[in-house]
Amino acid sequence: MLRLNLLHEEIAEQRQRQRDPLKLTIYVGIGIAALFALNYLWTGYRVLNIKSQLASVERDWSKIEPKVTAAQKRAGELNAIIGTTKTLDGIMESRFYWAPLLAKVADCVTPNVQLTSIDGSAEDESRGISLVIDGLAAGSEPRAVAEDFRQMLLEQIGKDHPGMKAEFKTLEDLDTVLRVSGNNAGTAHFVVAIEFNPSPIPAPTPQTRRSRSKKDE
Amino acid sequence: MNKLDKEQIKKLVLGAICLVALLYVYFNFFIGPLHHSEQTMQSKIAELQGKVASSKTEIAKAGRLEESARAATAHYEALRALTPEGAPIAWFPPRIKTFFAEQHIDKANARLDSTGAPKEKELSDWSRYIWTIDLPQADFITLGKAIALLENSEPLLSVRKIGIRANNELPQLQQATLTVATIIDKK
Repeated sequence: MLRLNLLHEEIAEQRQRQRDPLKLTIYVGIGIAALFALNYLWTGYRVLNIKSQLASVERDWSKIEPKVTAAQKRAGELNAIIGTTKTLDGIMESRFYWAPLLAKVADCVTPNVQLTSIDGSAEDESRGISLVIDGLAAGSEPRAVAEDFRQMLLEQIGKDHPGMKAEFKTLEDLDTVLRVSGNNAGTAHFVVAIEFNPSPIPAPTPQTRRSRSKKDE
Repeated sequence: MNKLDKEQIKKLVLGAICLVALLYVYFNFFIGPLHHSEQTMQSKIAELQGKVASSKTEIAKAGRLEESARAATAHYEALRALTPEGAPIAWFPPRIKTFFAEQHIDKANARLDSTGAPKEKELSDWSRYIWTIDLPQADFITLGKAIALLENSEPLLSVRKIGIRANNELPQLQQATLTVATIIDKK
């Protein structure tokens, strides 16, 4: 049976309208726009949540911040106090005490020795202590008396300060004759210079020496 | 399948352009700023949370430090208390005169040589004063005892130089000169 489609043109036109790419694009566009709108709303909701979270954290921080600032300030003050105290303690501990040294010098002075001046200096920590003793020695051998005095100084002061030096800067006979214990005695003028370090740097222990030599190897 | 005619291709191109424009507008003017502010807020939250956490530790640390520094603080206050109020030139010489007078050494005279900042950076609130103390009439033994007492009673004083000479007028006495350094709180 032969069927004739008399509406062929009309149907073709209708199909053409349905397949209109612009329309299809608009539908697709509307669909995508709807999805985007949903996504936008969801993201906006999340952002609002985060905003309220931020506000709560900021509230916490604003409560705690003054305390932290105060604590930091106090910690700074305390650290400064600790540092200052340590430094002052270090200065106090590294002081040189002159009285014991003067006592030792006094102990070394025998009746036939007279000191005319003592000059001491502890100005430079790296140089140590220096002491210059000027005096007169009297006796049949005045130079020997002066030497005995120097030896006694070495012995007395050297006990506490090993490595000390006591050297004559001057030792000269004088023409003056004195009476010591009823006898005439010749005199000598002497100047003894003493040097020592009250806090010497400790020598490395054998263990550290060994480890150093190992490193060198 | 029918081929697209010219009109349809035009419409398709126009639709594609509209779609691209829509995407551009959406990502640049809508979702982009939202994401940006979200990220900013999140990083701020993380930063603040970190600060809050560290601040709690810091407060606890300061508390512990306060406990451990109690001895140091008391020691520091004791050292500060050694410095009376007022200019050192006003109180140090009379104090030294009184001290040596109590040790039976008369005519003690202290004068200021120099003043300056200590070389230690921790002592920025303190000053170093160098004084010369003249003791024109002092017995050696008495002088030694007085120096010992001075060194023990003044922890922030150190004798830098000492000079003792025989006194020509009074052979039983000596002339002594001490150069001392003191560390004094600026207050």
